[in-house]
Amino acid sequence: MAKRILIVDDSASVRQVSNIALTRAGYEVIEATDGQDGLAKLAGKINLIISDVNMPRMDGITFLKAVKAHPNYKFTPVIMLTTEAGEDKKNEGRAAGAKAWIVKPFQPQTMLDAVAKLCLA
Amino acid sequence: MTDSALPTFIAESRELLREMEAALLECEQGETGAEAVNSIFRAAHTIKGSSGLFGLDGIVAFTHVVESVLDRVRANTLQMDRALAAILLECRDHIEHLVNAVADGKSDDVQLATRGESLLQKLSARAGGPAAAHTTASTTPVAPAAGHALWRIHVQFHAEVLRNGMDPLSFIRYLGTLGDIVALKLLTERLPGAEEFDAEACYLGFEIELASSESQQRIEAAFEFVRDDCTLQVRQKGTAASEVVADRREADTKESKASKSSDSRSLRVDGDKLDKLIDLIGELVTAGATTTITARKAGLSELNESTLRLARLVEEVRDQALKLRMVQIGPTFSRFQRIVRDVAREIGKEIRLETGGAETELDKTLIESITDPLTHLVRNAIDHGIETAEVRRSRGKNVEGVVRLDAYHDSGSVVIEVADDGGGLKRERIIAKAIERGLITDGSSLTDSEAFALIFEPGFSTAEQVTNLSGRGVGMDVVKRNVNALRGTVELDSKEGEGTTVRIRLPLTLAIIDGFLVGVGNSSFVIPLELVEECVELGDEHRSADGDQRYINLRGAVLPFVRLREMFSLRSSASRRESIVVIRCAGQRIGIVVDDLLGEMQAVIKPLSRLFSRIRGIGGSTILGTGQLALILDVTSLLDLCLNTRQTQAAPRRALMD
Repeated sequence: MAKRILIVDDSASVRQVSNIALTRAGYEVIEATDGQDGLAKLAGKINLIISDVNMPRMDGITFLKAVKAHPNYKFTPVIMLTTEAGEDKKNEGRAAGAKAWIVKPFQPQTMLDAVAKLCLA
Repeated sequence: MTDSALPTFIAESRELLREMEAALLECEQGETGAEAVNSIFRAAHTIKGSSGLFGLDGIVAFTHVVESVLDRVRANTLQMDRALAAILLECRDHIEHLVNAVADGKSDDVQLATRGESLLQKLSARAGGPAAAHTTASTTPVAPAAGHALWRIHVQFHAEVLRNGMDPLSFIRYLGTLGDIVALKLLTERLPGAEEFDAEACYLGFEIELASSESQQRIEAAFEFVRDDCTLQVRQKGTAASEVVADRREADTKESKASKSSDSRSLRVDGDKLDKLIDLIGELVTAGATTTITARKAGLSELNESTLRLARLVEEVRDQALKLRMVQIGPTFSRFQRIVRDVAREIGKEIRLETGGAETELDKTLIESITDPLTHLVRNAIDHGIETAEVRRSRGKNVEGVVRLDAYHDSGSVVIEVADDGGGLKRERIIAKAIERGLITDGSSLTDSEAFALIFEPGFSTAEQVTNLSGRGVGMDVVKRNVNALRGTVELDSKEGEGTTVRIRLPLTLAIIDGFLVGVGNSSFVIPLELVEECVELGDEHRSADGDQRYINLRGAVLPFVRLREMFSLRSSASRRESIVVIRCAGQRIGIVVDDLLGEMQAVIKPLSRLFSRIRGIGGSTILGTGQLALILDVTSLLDLCLNTRQTQAAPRRALMD
């Protein structure tokens, strides 16, 4: 059974490109447009979460904290998407338990590599 | 895979740009709310992030600068005002143009690029910070190691790893994509008893053998997300069958065998004891010379013969004693592996260090004193020699640059080469700079090697950009001075576009030289014998009364000469007969005019006291067999002195002190 990945990002193009790349690599992808939407979509089997940091409504760090507190998903690996400019955010994220980071802008292959390290298709 | 999503990117970017415009207009009217700044930042941020996914580097580079400025506004280190909002609006419009260009399928518009540059300059003039557009570092594929190497990976996961959402198993699965997992051993020593067992903690470690052609870096990168949460050790164990690798292994075992046998037969001796021995042998040589002279004067043939035999033996003992101080240069070379790796990484170049002639031996003190100049040359090669990956690619070169260190013996001296396959020296630029610095007035008559030699002049540096590595104000002139102080010479070969080789030539030892003794008036001087080519008589026709003719015709070639009597202001009138000692040094021939030729001798070098260290032209002193003192000429600096004198037309006597 294919691994399921939840991707949380407010950019439709990032979601779409990631979705295409991950689907081709053999993953099943669920999309969410921000942290709040992401929490709403936490259901059933999810093997990995990819989340942007800077999002409207609920940002990635708040979302991450909620995931870590969720009884069913606290052990789910989370990859955070950040930029060089967001060093402060990164520290905040680290404190919240984020271990895996991808720095934007990235190539689809970089994301696939990172995903493979945490959950091989 | 990105093409089908491109319309989404364009539609999304236009939407974000509209939001950005509205917020910027608010700011321009003086209503700068945190929410407005946030939404401007988020728009720039998102556009940058997604354009990177589509490989639109132009948009990424431009937006990056805008985003950095906005980030500072957001952090309140930069005040948003009307002027800034106006420039940001222009920047927004430019991003829109860039996006439109992508939509129209012409993303590389030159006009747009220039417009972007000038906008960024305007922005940085207002906001400070970097003017240059940020270029994203391209991820160049790491060259795989030759053949399949066998790696041993020892990883002990920390207890928190599961709670951090990391599954150890997933990393091991990922390793499987990098090669073949040959063996895997589970380490369970840390597993506690049932009472203390925490179901959410990880107690496991793994010892994995992986056959892979990937680099150590790539293998370690498999664990990048658990780096804080595990103890990791990756090392190469041995090599799997592959011809190239098998060869290397054979060489390795040979080497280890050799080193093993030499280990068991070698003896560690305190360096001070050795120095004392060499000192004593130096005295022995001097005393032997005195005996030889006395014996000759006494005219007893038997005594003469036995002293000559003694002298030969002393010479042999000297050679053997000097060999004791010889050490291989290999370990010094290997230290540079780390330097090259660190420096190359620091400045983002891919550089490999190759070494050759590791078994070449030279005097221990020489090795110690040559390390600094070598470090400087290697750093120079990395910093200024090897081009950036982009330039190399465009020139059709291997992306990975090569710096090569070589050592070999060459007719009584040791040669150390630092070579790179980088951009080489640009003759025109060197000459232009030398003229600008007032080192020369016209470069057209210079040969290439003369032009390249200019970079060793004090105060010369062609690097356009001062980086934090080589630009510390320490130039090649210091390298030359250090090498000259060791009685060595520096040469430089370079071919534009192909690379540069710097050759350091050093004497085998610092303690004793074979010299040629000459006399001027009542003084004696020693010229290093290896530099002497021949001796000729200075004919009367060349001895003009005012002494201003400074060259002779030596078998059809012009030979410039200097008079030691003038150089050292010796107060004695010229003798009736003078001779010229023809020396060759650093590719040039020059004559030294002296009164008497006194023959070959071994000179034990006594360094000059620090009081005289600034005197140029003299490298040391030695005690002659007669007890008299002779000065050892430092031919390289003497030559420099004469050449400079010729160029600047200064009085030769004044040039002696620098």
